[in-house]
Amino acid sequence: MSQYFDFAVIGSGVAGLRYALDVAKHGSVAVITKAEPHESNTNYAQGGVGSVLSPSDSVESHMHDTIVAGAYLCDEETVRVVCTEGPDRIRELMAMGASFDHGEDGNLHLTREGGHSHHRIAHVADMTGREIVRVLLKAVVNDPNISVFDHHFAIDLLTYQDCSDTICLGVDTFNTETLEAIRFISKVTLLASGGAGHIYPTTTNPLIATGDGMAMAYRAQAVISNMEFVQFHPTALADEGLPIKPTKSRENAFLISEAVRGAGGILYNLGMERFMPLYDERAELAPRDVVARSIDDQLKKRNEKYVLLDISHRASEKILSHFPNIAAECLKYGLDITRQPIPVVPAAHYMCGGVHARLHGETNIQGLYVAGEVACTGLHGANRLASNSIVEALVFARRAVQPSIDHMKSSKHDPSTSNLWGKPVVTSSLGSDAMDKILTMTRTIRKELQSIMWDYVGIVRSTTRLEFAEQKIGELEAKWEEYLFQQGWEPTMVGLEACEMRNLFCCAELVISSALSRHESRGLHYTVDFPNLEESKRLPTIIFPCSSVKSTWSSRQLHKQLMC
Amino acid sequence: MASNLCRLFSSSALKLTFSHTRSDQLTRSLSNSVNRLICSATQQPHPLEENPKQSHKQRLRKRISKTKARKKIKKTTNDYDDNGNFVNKATGEVGGPRGPEPTRFGDWEKNGRCCDF
Repeated sequence: MSQYFDFAVIGSGVAGLRYALDVAKHGSVAVITKAEPHESNTNYAQGGVGSVLSPSDSVESHMHDTIVAGAYLCDEETVRVVCTEGPDRIRELMAMGASFDHGEDGNLHLTREGGHSHHRIAHVADMTGREIVRVLLKAVVNDPNISVFDHHFAIDLLTYQDCSDTICLGVDTFNTETLEAIRFISKVTLLASGGAGHIYPTTTNPLIATGDGMAMAYRAQAVISNMEFVQFHPTALADEGLPIKPTKSRENAFLISEAVRGAGGILYNLGMERFMPLYDERAELAPRDVVARSIDDQLKKRNEKYVLLDISHRASEKILSHFPNIAAECLKYGLDITRQPIPVVPAAHYMCGGVHARLHGETNIQGLYVAGEVACTGLHGANRLASNSIVEALVFARRAVQPSIDHMKSSKHDPSTSNLWGKPVVTSSLGSDAMDKILTMTRTIRKELQSIMWDYVGIVRSTTRLEFAEQKIGELEAKWEEYLFQQGWEPTMVGLEACEMRNLFCCAELVISSALSRHESRGLHYTVDFPNLEESKRLPTIIFPCSSVKSTWSSRQLHKQLMC
Repeated sequence: MASNLCRLFSSSALKLTFSHTRSDQLTRSLSNSVNRLICSATQQPHPLEENPKQSHKQRLRKRISKTKARKKIKKTTNDYDDNGNFVNKATGEVGGPRGPEPTRFGDWEKNGRCCDF
């Protein structure tokens, strides 16, 4: 079944929804989202949006903070654009009804997060992302030109070659509720599908963040950039260390705030050795990147699963008064933080890299634009400054609008377009026994992939470990695909778990090859083989498309599976 | 900022090599932790009115929920504006959180849980 729209938007986070509202004034829009529309990384972004909203602040200062945090790998023009246009994008949200916190003087209340030299974080209590999604979704649902297709999983972009150009004309999807394949033919496509936290075992991202957009774009021959820069939070609650294990695995990480360390919390390895002073004279109060790296190093050296954060030496009344959330959560699983240390492990949080985007969200594929976490705009460089991600999404979603409209106006729908590519096939021909086996195997393989990524492509890297990961993941992928096809899976078949798995493989491989190619340490990418910054290497990592030598199921678009 | 961290970390890395840790530092940190263990074991901050029949964990749960409730209802003079919104006298924020500034340590903290960074 095929649907025809002027604009197709993949993803319903802040970037996708913001873009949809603007382009809807010029044509029909399909918003395609893999779960419930409100389920996105944005929805979990609880802190705030950083922008120059106070007269004592300046664009130059925000730019400076961004570039310093990005280890000087940021694209300066992109930084200028986001810092300059951010304030207007936030004012528009306020005009749409987002109720940002105010001060007594009636002005926006701006707070200051780590890395910012001014108070510039506008927020709605501590649920800014949720409020932004609420406001945008309300407007989207009320817009007659926008149709929302929830529980539609995007499988592959529909592209074709015209001489040396790759052109995108839509996307194949799969309705995970009705198990029906739906083809969207669109003149313009915006990819706003978010992050890929689930390539790692512990992540703050919701389950939907499986790197679908990055993988689809890569398979469609888009340029991918800076995938080695993965941001981790150093201290997420480690379920393995809890006396009573949670019965089901936590969907997204419970992060223990820096405030615990600020209040005197001490980090120990499982041998009860305090290790932070060995890495940094600021010990537990070192910046979180240093803490994350130190914890990772300890875990890898000692082959352990978590370290311990101990606040029990402080008065228990103070602990309970300051940290009741942590106390309650740990107590649920039999841990008393007034007496015992808290097991913690770093959690993957944000992908600074992604689909390479130019200043208006254009990619190297005609008719395909990107915005939000899936994009690599050059704003974050080698490390994202706190509260810069939502503002980046807003700015680029807006900037992609005019070129999209221009492109749309010069395109025509041809009813026969839909027949240019073979159609995906659903799994109804497979028996339930085969499906069960495939599901079980896929879940096991997913855990193994995450484990390899954490063990060998974590925070402290080395060439040997990266090469080992590359080899192991290649073998794992081959083993999984072989199993699938043995059970009767066909190359053009689709299913949620299998399609997510192929995207996770793709993203993991992009992270590894990017990490291998950077022969220096910068920002979030640290490697013991090249532990220093190299000025000559201060360049983005670019993965160019090439006709794939690889012949894995994960590396080729579904509709191209039969052509080799 | 991030570049300085890299250099700091790599110079520490040369120290460790992530190499073997010095045993005297280890001994010091170990004895510190033993001292802390002894200290925390001697802390018995249980008020007299607690029911001795309840387990420690039950008592702890009660203390946590009392703390949370106390935080919600605690009022000082002039803490609310005309619309009934809480006003933080230290920061001027209307309708914001009570207590210490959530971002005081760089990340966004709510009762210990980090919700943004």
